[in-house]
Amino acid sequence: MEERIVQFISALRSGGIRVSLAESADAFSAVENLGVQDRDTFRLSLRATLVKDLESLPTFEELFPLFFGSGEPPPLMNLMENLTEEEANILAEALRQFGQRLQDMLERLLRGEKLTPEELEALGQMVGLHHADDLRYREWMARRMQRALQFEQVREAMQEIMELMAQMGINKERLEQMRQLIAQNMDSLQERLRQYAGQRIAENMAEQRPEDALDELMEQPFHALSDSDMQKLRQEVRRLAALLRSRIALRQKRAKSGHLDAKATIRANLKHGGVPFQIKHRDRTVKPKLVVICDISTSMRHCSELMLSLLYELQDQVSKTHAFAFIDHLEYITPDFQGNRANEAIQQVLIRMPPGYYSTDLGHSLQNFADDYLDTIDQRTTLIVVGDGRNNYNDPRLDIFRKLAHRSSRTLWLNPEMPLLWGSGDSDMLEYVPLCDRVLQVSALSDLMAAVDQLLVEK
Amino acid sequence: MSKIRVFQSIEETRDCLGDQQYIAGDEIATTAYLAQQLGKPLLAEGPAGVGKTELAKALADSLDRPLIRLQCYEGLDETKALYEWEYAKQLLYTQLLRDQLQQTLAGARSLAEAADRLADEEDVFFSMRFLLQRPLLRAILSDEPVVLLIDEIDRADAEFEAFLLEVLSDFQVSVPELGTLTARQRPIVVLTSNNTRELSEALKRRCLYLFIGYPSREQELNVVRLKVPDLAPQMAQQVVELVQRLREMDLRKLPSISETLDWAQALVALNTENLDQKTLETTLSALLKHETDLRKVQRQLGRIDDDDEVDWDDELRRRGR
Repeated sequence: MEERIVQFISALRSGGIRVSLAESADAFSAVENLGVQDRDTFRLSLRATLVKDLESLPTFEELFPLFFGSGEPPPLMNLMENLTEEEANILAEALRQFGQRLQDMLERLLRGEKLTPEELEALGQMVGLHHADDLRYREWMARRMQRALQFEQVREAMQEIMELMAQMGINKERLEQMRQLIAQNMDSLQERLRQYAGQRIAENMAEQRPEDALDELMEQPFHALSDSDMQKLRQEVRRLAALLRSRIALRQKRAKSGHLDAKATIRANLKHGGVPFQIKHRDRTVKPKLVVICDISTSMRHCSELMLSLLYELQDQVSKTHAFAFIDHLEYITPDFQGNRANEAIQQVLIRMPPGYYSTDLGHSLQNFADDYLDTIDQRTTLIVVGDGRNNYNDPRLDIFRKLAHRSSRTLWLNPEMPLLWGSGDSDMLEYVPLCDRVLQVSALSDLMAAVDQLLVEK
Repeated sequence: MSKIRVFQSIEETRDCLGDQQYIAGDEIATTAYLAQQLGKPLLAEGPAGVGKTELAKALADSLDRPLIRLQCYEGLDETKALYEWEYAKQLLYTQLLRDQLQQTLAGARSLAEAADRLADEEDVFFSMRFLLQRPLLRAILSDEPVVLLIDEIDRADAEFEAFLLEVLSDFQVSVPELGTLTARQRPIVVLTSNNTRELSEALKRRCLYLFIGYPSREQELNVVRLKVPDLAPQMAQQVVELVQRLREMDLRKLPSISETLDWAQALVALNTENLDQKTLETTLSALLKHETDLRKVQRQLGRIDDDDEVDWDDELRRRGR
């Protein structure tokens, strides 16, 4: 049993749930306390100790029955047993109409024989079940196994047999009874295949090494990220945000170097009879206001998305964020984020603004911004541009950018391209650089994190 | 000395909670029992008003233990949560004891000697007498076992969470002047969170996790019957039915069980006999806390009730054409 629980825990891990050693130890002591007799109690004791957030619960509920069986599928019925001799003869006659392989399969169904573990194993081999390590493949694998067993043909053959037998003159009621039993047998077989596929996949997941590639992913350049990498990074962003948050909080706490706060000092020292033991300083940390303008064309999408997710995880550290996205024109996307994850919000925006070929136009987008949203920038605002500065030879509108940079308290540009490439081809980057307070190269998530960290430092 | 009361089994946990008018499902009973058995804090998460805080109260009552509550908020720090020296009292005592002090110091030949003598008496001023105990320290120092409720931990800052780790894993705290204080009786700890922010992994790791969601139709009906016995069974059914339907709608704040109870009580107070459009309109505000939600629901309900008429209108128009 312990072995099984250990396997289960590693399957949870490869399913994306973080389970620490301490938690698995807790799980064992919980199980020790409550025993394994009652399946529901057992499930709850594992759940309370291993799963610590709502999003992971479905994964747990999906994996649990695969490791600690949800009970066998309903047993197969033997129809042959209680047939009269005459009926048996008719059935044998009817069966003779089919090929050998099909006949075997049909007889098994009628006799209600289970698939042996060896047969299941062989079937699994045949459809490549041993390569599957994601529960999303479960239904597909089960279907492939059914196909390997010629389920469809069997079903049709059964239908024919029933008709044949009806013609040969078998009692109608009897026939209906048989039909139902056979249908049940088939369902049960199907369920067995599904269970087997799920169990095998779960076991494969358990054997898989838990993902340790995250650190590498952090350093992976944005353009080399695959969809599954993005998925992992999206989850990672939340953890990083928590990390950043505590770092920021600590910094703010220690950075009380402001002026003496006379009022607070007097109030704090009333308890010492007015002797100023504790000196209070005025808190100087002002939460920044952000305006983010993101390029979401194909080359920049990953970078922008991760940047936006990071910022939105850190909403409590900034006083206000206005987010804009552009390809050929500008859109205000803050409303899309309400109640949405960054990737979903960007998807929504992309539906409204499908990326064309070589249509990126920052100049025009800046014009849009100046026309409609100039009031979002005041002297407390930090303006952040996430983009590669490639303008497709359109007018870079440096005049507007200069105005924006002047209005805002500081201007930050995040560019995933190497500085070497700035200014090459259609890049106007070198012209924007002198107008920004800082230009940072962010080619991977780790850079992005450092950039956001910078952003929240006092100037 | 009386024996400390503990739950012996999951069933007993459920029954005892039931005696305190808290209807616990399998999940809640099992997790609560485990929390007691393993001596681990229980982290209850879920939307507001589903009975997370109530669980701690019911646990305390059913085990006959006092409940010590620490309400978290932004900016909560150790001096509010753990302990503080009572400066005013210390000051007062030094003033009143001035004569004694002078006696003690009289006859000292050098300043150093006087300081030494004073240092010997230091313990008087840094003793438990002058320690203002805040909830956490109270729970640790309590002679009888208690239930400690740390409410809405998600509102506190991340640093406070980190500070809690020491307390929750060892149930001990160190006060520099007094040394390390260890819990005499391990308290049962319940933390609640409304999930407004992600809690740190480290904290979650130390807790048992329990998610309390909205109750099922049956559970809710049971709770309403138990807590508002004056409501006619027929009405209780209708009330629960409607609330369950509201939860399927896209509202800013879904009504939770506490709002259902408020509403049921309002209906009892108003002596309502059946739920008609007018009562709905006047009492719905007990259930929905946002103006937009309220309007949306009124529109929706109006439409359902008027369905027949709308159909007729359509029919007539079609025939007219």
